[in-house]
Amino acid sequence: MTLDFPMVLRCEWLKRRRSFAGWLVLGGALFTPAIIIAVRLVQHAKLPALYANPAFWPSLWRSAWESMAMLLLPIAAILATSLVAQIEFRNNAWKQVRTLPLHPATIYAAKLAVILVLIGQLLALFSVGIWLAAAVPWLFVAGVPWPSDMLSPSFVFAQNARYFVDCLPIVAAQYAIALHSRNYLVPLGAGFVAWIGALGLLQWKYAFVFPYTYTMLDYLGGEPAGKVTVPAIGTAPYALGYAALFAVAGYVLFATKRQKG
Amino acid sequence: MHCLEVNDLVHRYRNGDVVLDGVTLRIPAGSIYGFLGPNGAGKTTTLRLILGLIALQHGAISIFGLQLAAHRIDILRRVGSLIESPSLYDHLTATENLALLQAVHRVDEAKIGDVLDLVGLAGTHRKKVGEFSLGMKQRLAIAVALLHEPELLILDEPTNGLDPNGIVEMRALLTRLNRERGLTIVISSHLLAEIERLATHVGIIHRGRVLFEGTLDELQRRRRTHVALATNDDERAIALLARQSIAATIADGRIVMPAMPNTAIAQVNRRLVDAGLDVHELHTAGDDLEAIFMNLVSN
Ligand SMILES: Nc1ncnc2c1ncn2[C@@H]1O[C@H](COP(=O)(O)OP(=O)(O)OP(=O)(O)O)[C@@H](O)[C@H]1O
Ligand SMILES: [Mg+2]
Repeated sequence: MTLDFPMVLRCEWLKRRRSFAGWLVLGGALFTPAIIIAVRLVQHAKLPALYANPAFWPSLWRSAWESMAMLLLPIAAILATSLVAQIEFRNNAWKQVRTLPLHPATIYAAKLAVILVLIGQLLALFSVGIWLAAAVPWLFVAGVPWPSDMLSPSFVFAQNARYFVDCLPIVAAQYAIALHSRNYLVPLGAGFVAWIGALGLLQWKYAFVFPYTYTMLDYLGGEPAGKVTVPAIGTAPYALGYAALFAVAGYVLFATKRQKG
Repeated sequence: MHCLEVNDLVHRYRNGDVVLDGVTLRIPAGSIYGFLGPNGAGKTTTLRLILGLIALQHGAISIFGLQLAAHRIDILRRVGSLIESPSLYDHLTATENLALLQAVHRVDEAKIGDVLDLVGLAGTHRKKVGEFSLGMKQRLAIAVALLHEPELLILDEPTNGLDPNGIVEMRALLTRLNRERGLTIVISSHLLAEIERLATHVGIIHRGRVLFEGTLDELQRRRRTHVALATNDDERAIALLARQSIAATIADGRIVMPAMPNTAIAQVNRRLVDAGLDVHELHTAGDDLEAIFMNLVSN
């Protein structure tokens, strides 16, 4: 199984070519930066003062991440997972995949890895987008200074890693559902309901028991006002625990599915 | 030696209907095995079980002398299959579809061109599979099944959607693969005419039971022959024949008698003519295979 994995991963990665996956990553990553750029170009008179602020980068980072943590990252995880599973359902290809000389665990892990790579791409591109959100108005509006104290690469990496871990339970749960349902509305519907549920639970003291809340809790927990309760040990242990649980449950469902194609 | 042995398969789907009721098949290595049966007979279900796509409920399957349950991955390395509709990625080209599997099977990249040539799809270049006709998809699905040079090819109604020319080509391709590479082929169909020109062995399944299994010759030998006769006065003819204790009946506007040697036929003719009857038609006729099939299936 371990020997097959790189080959199977390559195979799974090739499948997503020319699918909606590329647009999903591009759109998800650049949507918010594009809006920031547009707004700032319109309000260009305020830019010199804004760019001279020593807290320019942290405040840009936070405002860009709001939509990402609350909306785009959970939704992207839901969509990317459904997409990867639907590639097989839509093309009647499960019976082909399941008759390859491969252990089901290899197939399961390779597809999951593709989803995680897509999420990784989304986050990396989003960081580039945030940089562009600063650079583009600076280029086009005269008299704006280049903001000082750029965020350190280690900060950017740590933040990305944290949100990546936060969305793992969503990926794992959605993956389990998506592999099991021929009808793509099932994982999408379940995902949206869970996302809305997470939004509704945020104010609750124990919101962190609900596995879809972590990207939001992590973001809102950073507010000085502290409107939400983040567990003392942070969201990561919960996120990893739920992700492992869902991944194992999903695998059991996948490996024991009655009609494999 | 048997390439594939299936013993006493019983299968029921969730709704409880028993769709396979003790299916036993012996598929000799190097044969082209026609797996025949009308719609809903259980062909696809049997082939799915053989590939492990649905869980075995009862019975045993061994392929290349190995138990499927214990050696599924080793077995699948040596099996190519096409079950029902083609499994192809519509948003990719033919070459890309094959490249996916080339990575998994670890065969040479040149094989992709070879199998595309083999099925006559070499010229499709950048065209996406979603833009292929059904027949083209079917051919590509065969190419997919052949990519890793399997020893056993399992094809479920592969001529679905092929034009007459395509069917002839497919038949020629399968015969060639069988002769040149010794590939064992299991091919299911609900049309006997299609199998008759291709298969060396036949298994006939109906309502989940195997009604016949053997070589094509053995099936041919089941032909029931009779002698047909037409005269200007069939009733008198029957009376005359009865006197010679030949059991004759009228069917489809002719007299039908049991099969008899040529000398006996000549004698019948002489008697009838001597009695003043005009003989319009007198010949030996037999069921064609289709009739044998229909007979098996309707009883
Ligand atoms: N997924 C399923 N759930 C319930 N019943 C099924 C399922 N698939 C097939 N059947 C039933 O099993 C029986 C055999 O079906 P199967 O597909 O094996 O027939 P077949 O011989 O391949 O027919 P065809 O020539 O039409 O392809 C049918 O009565 C069918 O209704
Ligand atoms: Mg069928």
